[in-house]
Amino acid sequence: MKSLRRFFARLFNFATRRAQDERLREEIAEHIALQTEDNILAGLSPIEARRQAMLKFGAIESMKADYRAERGFVLLENLYQDIRFAVRSLERTPGLTAFVVLTLALGIGMTSATFSMVDALIFRPYPVPQSSGVVTVVSTSHESSYDGFSYREYLDLRDKTSSFEGVIASAEMEPVGFAADPAATPRVKGGMMVSGNYFRVLGVEPHLGRSFRDDEDLVPGRNPVVVLGPDCWKHEFAGDPSVLGRTVRLNGTQFTVIGVAPETFPGMLIFGHPDFYMPLAMAGLFSANPTKNFFEDRDDRELLVRARLKPFVTLAEARNELAVLAANLQRDYPRFNRHRGAAVHTQFEMRTRGDDVNWRFGVIFVVLALSVLLVACTNVAGLLLSRARARTREIAVRLAIGAGRLRLIRLLLTESVILAFLAGLMGIAIGYGVVDWFQSQQNVIFMTDLPFAIPFRMDTRVLLASLALSCVSAVVCGLVPALESSQSDLVNGLKCAEGDGPGRKRSWGRNALVVAQVSTSLMLLTAAFLMVRGFRRSLLDGTAFAKDHLLMAGFDPRLVQYDESHGQQFYKQLVDRVRHTPGVRSATLTQNVPLGGDFFDYNDVQFVPGGLLMPPGRENFSSPMDTVDEGYFETMGIPMLRGRGFRDSDTADTPLVAVVNEQFAKHYWPSGDGLGQHIHLDNAAGTPVEIVGIAPAVKNQDTFQRPSDFLYLPLAQHPVARLTLLLRSEGDPLALLPAVKSAVHSLDLNMPILHTMTYEDLYLNQTVRGPGIAIKLVGAMGVVGLLLAVAGLYGVVAYNVSRRTREIGIRMAIGARSSDVLRLVLGKGLLLVARGIVIGLLMGFAVERMMNSMLFNAGGVDLLAYAVVLPALLLVTMLAAYLPARRASRIAPTQALRYE
Amino acid sequence: MATLSKPKADVLQGTLALMVLKTLDVLGPLHGYGIARRIEQISGDLLAVNQGTLYPVLLKLEQEGAISSEWGASENNRRARFYQLTREGRKQLQAEAQDWQQTAAIIARFFQLKKEDWS
Repeated sequence: MKSLRRFFARLFNFATRRAQDERLREEIAEHIALQTEDNILAGLSPIEARRQAMLKFGAIESMKADYRAERGFVLLENLYQDIRFAVRSLERTPGLTAFVVLTLALGIGMTSATFSMVDALIFRPYPVPQSSGVVTVVSTSHESSYDGFSYREYLDLRDKTSSFEGVIASAEMEPVGFAADPAATPRVKGGMMVSGNYFRVLGVEPHLGRSFRDDEDLVPGRNPVVVLGPDCWKHEFAGDPSVLGRTVRLNGTQFTVIGVAPETFPGMLIFGHPDFYMPLAMAGLFSANPTKNFFEDRDDRELLVRARLKPFVTLAEARNELAVLAANLQRDYPRFNRHRGAAVHTQFEMRTRGDDVNWRFGVIFVVLALSVLLVACTNVAGLLLSRARARTREIAVRLAIGAGRLRLIRLLLTESVILAFLAGLMGIAIGYGVVDWFQSQQNVIFMTDLPFAIPFRMDTRVLLASLALSCVSAVVCGLVPALESSQSDLVNGLKCAEGDGPGRKRSWGRNALVVAQVSTSLMLLTAAFLMVRGFRRSLLDGTAFAKDHLLMAGFDPRLVQYDESHGQQFYKQLVDRVRHTPGVRSATLTQNVPLGGDFFDYNDVQFVPGGLLMPPGRENFSSPMDTVDEGYFETMGIPMLRGRGFRDSDTADTPLVAVVNEQFAKHYWPSGDGLGQHIHLDNAAGTPVEIVGIAPAVKNQDTFQRPSDFLYLPLAQHPVARLTLLLRSEGDPLALLPAVKSAVHSLDLNMPILHTMTYEDLYLNQTVRGPGIAIKLVGAMGVVGLLLAVAGLYGVVAYNVSRRTREIGIRMAIGARSSDVLRLVLGKGLLLVARGIVIGLLMGFAVERMMNSMLFNAGGVDLLAYAVVLPALLLVTMLAAYLPARRASRIAPTQALRYE
Repeated sequence: MATLSKPKADVLQGTLALMVLKTLDVLGPLHGYGIARRIEQISGDLLAVNQGTLYPVLLKLEQEGAISSEWGASENNRRARFYQLTREGRKQLQAEAQDWQQTAAIIARFFQLKKEDWS
């Protein structure tokens, strides 16, 4: 208590120390005056009286020091002095200061923007209380370690485990036809089916109303109730609290609003923020896979299962329990669960799994951003070093009059801390800029009707990380120069202004900086170059179908309560009408389009190739698939390699047929021809399907993907509710839009049209601009890194050479020719660059391997990248060494000798 | 040397602080010179030299809240800083005086002991 009070008094004193000094002086004067008077009264002469008074008082200065030490913080006062001194000396060289701050700010800004991304993608905890207890349960098999569970399996998990406080399940967020007013035309919103205990187990208290009751998720189709997400509530209902109890229409069925999720819970997904939540029991209306029975089929694994661990139950215990449960399921349901396990993962494990694109991009970005920061730091260290050298005499004087080495290092470090602090502020501003720019690209990245949002933001976590980063960079930048210059040799330091003592020991710092800069920037450039080239190349192969003159329009008759046959009829009539519209060359219906991204559900199909013995322990293979009608291949401009496409004559009553791509055929019939072979859907006992055509491999999911198996099934034999109409036009595809709209409205005035746009737009958006944003960022890092490295390299090399002007003058005076001088200087510079290049090449190879394995799936070394990057760096260094060397070699020796 | 003189200074400071408190308790508000003179009168040579050491002690006591100070007029009508015991200071004095007396009594008893008392 007493010491606390003393602390605050000291703090106060620190602020008012001038007035305090004045007070002490006055008190001392008064004390001595009184003593002198008493001494005079005692009979001493005035002079002697004062002398005695002073003697009695004792050493004033040492008392003052005690007094000050008692009064305040010595360290703090020194720090204050250091700061004032540092600010003054930085002010003396505003250009250098600005350059240093800008350089560091770029490095810190790039890194903090990257941090904000990585934080959002990987580290940010779930927006629920005690989020560390929430784990994800996945089903594992030979093919995938991260499968979901079926409804039946979920019930087993929920009811037969004891490690968890609760087990919850959610389906994917899906497009749902939503009408706030039952009479209105439905619009597409993102809805998510969740288990009845979802909110309770997560610990999310509804903002209004209540969450689901367990009994509302018990009987399929019985309880049409909905909980609104916070955004939907605000936008669709203007935040009206009376929304509780109101009726809304979801996919044509009336639902009662029972609650509103709180603002703090935008959902458990990184990007998607569901507009509303429905109980799993209503799956009949929403399930994405109509060929399966959601409630019964054990292999309809659509659900993401999460659980909250009981307190004091460890992850290992939960894993053991699940292993036992999975073994039981294998025994009880060999048909569906053979060789299927279960695993428990923490949030962090889920987000850093190897196949996660976000994680891969995150790692690459962090590595690159830190490299930019490293280049910026070495750059600044180089500048500070030359600056410290210019102050050799000042530092020598300080040492000579008794400054301790530690005190001096602290003084120099204070300067770099101030620089880093300013740079940190600016860097955070740059980070804000980048994050803002990302936010502004929202519509480019997510060109969809669903509520996706970019989660990157500069929050406290990111700000703290950025500040920590600034501190680290301050130490990194400041320590080397501070150590080197405080080692100054007094005699030499006092003698010459910015000379170097003899010996080569001194230059290790600078040489290391040059090497570090060359190597890091080489790596950055390689990465940027690879990224851009890899991306370009990925756009070339497998996307070679005609992308222009195509109009898309999506439909889902379930949104307006059509049953299956009604829906099929609608599609048939629609295609008939638009096909004969003037300007339409051909029309087709398809479940998905290639490279459509988030717009579509890319399903897999399970099958067993006919005549093939399955490897033991495997029931079937799976392959990505699409369901298309007979006009698809013609309209998309994908030519059949062999066999035929689908025909009108392939109907529900004729034998089942399929088209596979080349890759598929080669994969399963490597020696022969896949044409005419059969596959069995689902398992060996499934219906045989004849392969009637072989199509070229077309990239479907993203352009980075390797050519992979693909299977097409005819729409007529496998009806699908949600389809996209594709029209190949003669002229501008958008000109067909009115005709399509009128055709749709003539069939049903209420039918919503989902994503109407040209395929070219979709393609540009999904595969060129979206990834292009990432490419741009990496490119920007490469360019920033290169610019910084070039500036730093030039600065350090040129400085090194210019410091030797005198030496060069002497050499010239005793008969060296300019060519000798040039060779000397260039040779030394090139040696350093060569070392840097060797290290940089090694790092470049490492980055290339990482990027290839993570993004491009391509092996081999991209020689062109090095062929472009290496000469560029060499050229810069040569120039940096050559220009000052030439100047030095042209200087008259008499002048050079006097040069300082 | 430095290591030896430090604890001694601490002891001196501690006793000095107690003396300051007692002086102010008995005599009421005083300026620095007044306190120094009283202590000198009573303790003899403790403050015969180095009267200046009083001021850091005064500051410490003030920062701890045991005493307060304000400007006033000295005997010959010049500005002087007058120190005064606070309520907290009075409590502190009582507590420390008690401690001190106890300690002193124990020490005194020890020094009265003769060799035969130890056996």
